[in-house]
Amino acid sequence: MALFENEAGLFSRRLFVLGATQASLFALLAGRLQYLQVSQSANYETLAEANRVNISQLTPARGLITDRQGTLLADNDRKLLVELVPEQIRDLDGTLAELQEHLGLSNGRLRELRRKIKRGPSFKAITVAEDVDWDAFAAINLRLPFLPGVAPRTGEKRIYPEGETLAHVVGYVGDKTAADLRRMGRIVGDTVGRSGVEREFERDLRGTAGVRHVEVNARGRNVRELETTPGKPGQNITLSIDVALQRKLSERLNGHSGSAVVMDIETGELLAMASVPSFDPNGFSRGVEASTWEKMLVAERKPLMNKAIRGQYSPGSTFKMLVALAALEEKLVAPEDEINCSGVYPFSGEKFHCWRPEGHGQVNMVQAIERSCDSYFYDLALKVGINRIEAMARRFGLGAATGINLLGEKNGTIPGRDWKRANYDTGWRAGETVITGIGQGYLLTTPLQLVVMTAALANGGKLVTPTLLAGQSAQAQPRPIGVAPEHLAIVQQGMYRAVNKPDGTAYASSLLIGNQRMSGKTGTVQVRRISLTEREEGVIPNSELDWHLRDHALFVGYVPHRAPRYAISVVIEHGGGGGQVAAPIARDIMVDLLRSQETPPPPATPTPKAAASANPGESS
Amino acid sequence: MSHSNSFNREGLLEPFNNLHKPLFFCVGLLGLIGVVVLYSVAGGDFSPWAWRHGVRVVAGLALIYFISTLELRTFYVLAYPVFGLVLILLVGVELFGARHMGAQRWLDLGFMQLQPSEFMRLALVLALARFYHRIHQNDVSHPLNLIVPLAMIAVPCMLVLNQPDLGTSIMLAGAGLSVVFLAGVNVRYFMAGSVAIIAAIPIVWQNMLTYQKERVLVFLNPERDPLGAGYHIIQSKIGIGSGGVFGKGLAQGTQSQLNFLPERHTDFIFSNYAEEMGFIGALALLALFLLTLFFIFRIANQMRHTFSRLAVASMGFSISIYVLVNLAMVMGLAPVVGVPLPFVSYGGTSLLTFMMSIGVILAMERQTMADLSK
Repeated sequence: MALFENEAGLFSRRLFVLGATQASLFALLAGRLQYLQVSQSANYETLAEANRVNISQLTPARGLITDRQGTLLADNDRKLLVELVPEQIRDLDGTLAELQEHLGLSNGRLRELRRKIKRGPSFKAITVAEDVDWDAFAAINLRLPFLPGVAPRTGEKRIYPEGETLAHVVGYVGDKTAADLRRMGRIVGDTVGRSGVEREFERDLRGTAGVRHVEVNARGRNVRELETTPGKPGQNITLSIDVALQRKLSERLNGHSGSAVVMDIETGELLAMASVPSFDPNGFSRGVEASTWEKMLVAERKPLMNKAIRGQYSPGSTFKMLVALAALEEKLVAPEDEINCSGVYPFSGEKFHCWRPEGHGQVNMVQAIERSCDSYFYDLALKVGINRIEAMARRFGLGAATGINLLGEKNGTIPGRDWKRANYDTGWRAGETVITGIGQGYLLTTPLQLVVMTAALANGGKLVTPTLLAGQSAQAQPRPIGVAPEHLAIVQQGMYRAVNKPDGTAYASSLLIGNQRMSGKTGTVQVRRISLTEREEGVIPNSELDWHLRDHALFVGYVPHRAPRYAISVVIEHGGGGGQVAAPIARDIMVDLLRSQETPPPPATPTPKAAASANPGESS
Repeated sequence: MSHSNSFNREGLLEPFNNLHKPLFFCVGLLGLIGVVVLYSVAGGDFSPWAWRHGVRVVAGLALIYFISTLELRTFYVLAYPVFGLVLILLVGVELFGARHMGAQRWLDLGFMQLQPSEFMRLALVLALARFYHRIHQNDVSHPLNLIVPLAMIAVPCMLVLNQPDLGTSIMLAGAGLSVVFLAGVNVRYFMAGSVAIIAAIPIVWQNMLTYQKERVLVFLNPERDPLGAGYHIIQSKIGIGSGGVFGKGLAQGTQSQLNFLPERHTDFIFSNYAEEMGFIGALALLALFLLTLFFIFRIANQMRHTFSRLAVASMGFSISIYVLVNLAMVMGLAPVVGVPLPFVSYGGTSLLTFMMSIGVILAMERQTMADLSK
C-alpha cells in the first residue's frame, strides 16, 4: 500500500504543479484583459471608432456671381464625369479603346491621357471626360465590372450664362493643381478660380467644407449615415456690372479688336467692361485642349487678354485736356489766347503735322479741344514743358495701376526726363514734348485708366478707384486731384463742343435724351510713321492699309453733360478715326444708359434669386 | 458498490442521481454562452450558427450523459483499438481528405465532415493512460518505457502537422506529454527535452511553411502587416479593448457587427464576447472555465486507478490549454494558431470531442472504486 500511496502522492504533486501553472496563466490572461479593457480601453475605443466611422468632406456650393440687378453671371450645375485611376487599370489599351468608343474621344485627347497616366502619380484620378452625356455615362457604368480603374462620378460644374460677353470680367474656374495648393493651402473642391472675379474673390466664393460621418463595414461599404456638419456655401457676389449694358457693349464691339469701359464717376463702379474678341468661359471650365489654348494665346487679336486693363495704347488726342489743364494751372496761357494753325507746325527743323492738312486757322483753347487741333497743342506742350505734363498726367492716375479688383492690371507709361534717362539712357528731346502734347510718342494708357481720367474731368477733379463690386464704393475714398473748377469748366466746354457742335470731331455722335447730352473727346493714334513722300502724294486712307497698320480709334466721354454721372472710354485697335469708329459706339452705349436711367433705377444690391437653390455638392 | 454498475435497469434517472452535476452544469452553461454569442455574432439571429450550436450542445449533453453510464472497463478495453482506429483515420485524411483553406483536415463521411485530429486528442490520452496503468511506478522512467509513449505521441502529431495544422498538433503533443508528466516520469527528461526543443527551433523554422512563418513573425510584430496577417490580431485587440468595463451590449459590438473581426464565430469568438459583454463578462467567462477545470482536477485527484487519474487529469489539461492558447491568441499574447475556444466556438468535431471527454470524466468519477486489474 505504500507504493500506492507513493504513486498517488507523486501524481497529486505533479497535478498541483500543472494546476498551479495553469491558474497563473489564467491570472495572466485576466491581467491582460484588465490592461486591454480597463487601462487601454479609451485608446481602443478610439481605434474602433476610426474603424467604424469614415469621414468625408462635403464640398460647399460655390458662391454665385450676379450683376447689379441679380442676373446670374456664374451658376452651378451638376455634371457627369469619367475619371481613371491609373494604378487600378488592368488593360490600358482595352480600357482606353472602350472609353474612346463611348465618349467619342479624339486621338489627340487619347495621346494626352496616355501622357498624363505615364507622368502623374498612379493613385491620382485623371479626368477622362467632363460633362459626359447621360447615355454614355450609363453605358460606362454598366461596363464598370470589366473596366477596373474607370471611375464615373458626378461633380459640380460652373456655367456662365453670359458666355463671351463677360468672360474677361467674371473669368472662369479650372481644376486645382499642385501650384494652387502651394499658393492657397488646403482648399476644398476640385476647382479654383483661374481668372477674373472667379480668381480675385476665390476665398469668398469657395465657402467652407462640411464634414460627413458615415458608418462603414470592414469592406468600406457605407452602412448608415451618422452625422453631417453642413459646410457654409460660398458667398454670393453682386457685381456692379449692368448685364444689359454689357451685352449692348459687346454687341457694338463685335468684329473689332479693342475694349470699352463704362464707369460711375462718383463711386467708381464699373457698369460695363468689355474686351473683344472674347472667348467662351464655359469651354474653359470644362478644360480646353492644349492646341486650342495655344492658338488663342498667340492669336493676333489676343482673345484671352482683358484689353481693358492689360491693353496699353497711346491716348492720342484724349490726352489733350490734361495738357490744357497743366497750362491753365501755371497761367502760361489764357483760354482765349489764339494761335494760327496752318496744318503744319515747324519746330527745330522738323515739320509737325496737324491731322487736318489744310489747318484750322485761328483757334483758342476751347476750339482746339472741340476740333482736336494738333498745332495748338504742339505749341501748348512746348510752353508747358514735359515736367508739368508728366505731373498732371500722374495726378489723373495715368502711369499707375488704378487699383481695380482684378489681377494683372498694367501701369501704362508716362514719359519724362528721368524715365527717358532710365529707359533709353539719353536726354529728353524737345521734339518729344511736342508729340507728347497730342498724346502720342512714349505715352501708354489702358482703357480703364482713360475712363478714370475722364471721370476725374467730369466729377470736379476726384480720382476714383474703379471697382467691380456693387455698393462697395465707400471702401476707397476718391482722392481730390486739386485742379481748379474754373479750369475744368473750360476743358469740359471743349469736350461738350467736340460732340455737340458742327465743327466738333464727334459731332456725328451727338445725342439728346430728354435734355441730356454727351461730352467727350476723340483720339486717333497713328501706329506707323508717315513718310515725306507719302505726305506729298496724299496720305493713304486707313481702309487701304493692312489691319495692323491702321490707326487706333479712341473716344472718352461722359453723360449727362451738365450733371455728369457716367464716363466711358472706347479703344478700337486699328479701327481708324476716333470720330468715325469709337465715338458712335460710345454714343450708342450712352443712349442706352440714359434711357435706362429714365425709368426708376433698380436697387444696386438685389438678393440673387438663385441663391436659395444652392445646395452643397459632395466630393469623396 | 452499486454505483459501479454502469447501466442500471431500474430506470434512466437512477444514474442521474450520482452524476457529478456541478461539472455537467458548467459544461451546459458554457455551451449556452456559445449559443448566445453566436446569436449575437449573426447580428441577433439564430441562423446560421446559433441554432445549430444549440442542437449540438443539447445532443452533446445527452452524449455526455450516455457515456457517463458506460463501464470503466469499456474505456480501458477500447483504449488501444480506438487509438489505432483514429490513427488509421488520420492516415485516411492524408490520402483522401478534403482540402479546405489550404489544409487537409476533414474526412467527408457523407453526412458529416470529420476531423480525426480532434478525436485523436481523446484517443491518445486514453491510450497513454492505459499504457501507464500497466507499468509500475518504479519503471516509468526507464528508457525503454519512454520510447513507446513518445512514439504514440509523435506519430499522430507528425500526421496532423503534415495536414498542415500546427495548432492541433501542438495541442496534441501537449495533451500527450501531460500524461507522461503526470505518470511520474523523471523531471530531468523534461528538462532535457526542453533544451532539445530550443535547440531544434532553427531546424523547425527551416521546415515551416511560409504562412506558418508569417504567422509567427506577425505575432511578434502585428504592425508588420496591418492589413494582412496582422489584421486579425490588431482587430481582435481593438474589439476586446473597446468593450471597456461593461461592454457594448449584445449584438452591439461595432467591431464584430461591421465585420472587422475575423473568424468571429470560431477562433475569435471571445473577441466578440469581450467587446459586447465587457471586462466583467470576460472575467465571468474566465471564472466559469476555471471552475470547470477545478472540478475536473479535483475529480482526477480523487481517482484510485492510474488509468482514470491520468485520463481525467490529462483531458482536463487538454481543455485548459485550448482555453489558454485561444484566449492568449485573441488578446495578442500568442500567435494565431487556429485553436477554438472549448464549448463556445462554433464547430462540430471539436465540440463533440470536448463533450466526449467530459462524458469519460464523468463516467470515471462515478466508478472511482471500480475494479480494474493491472
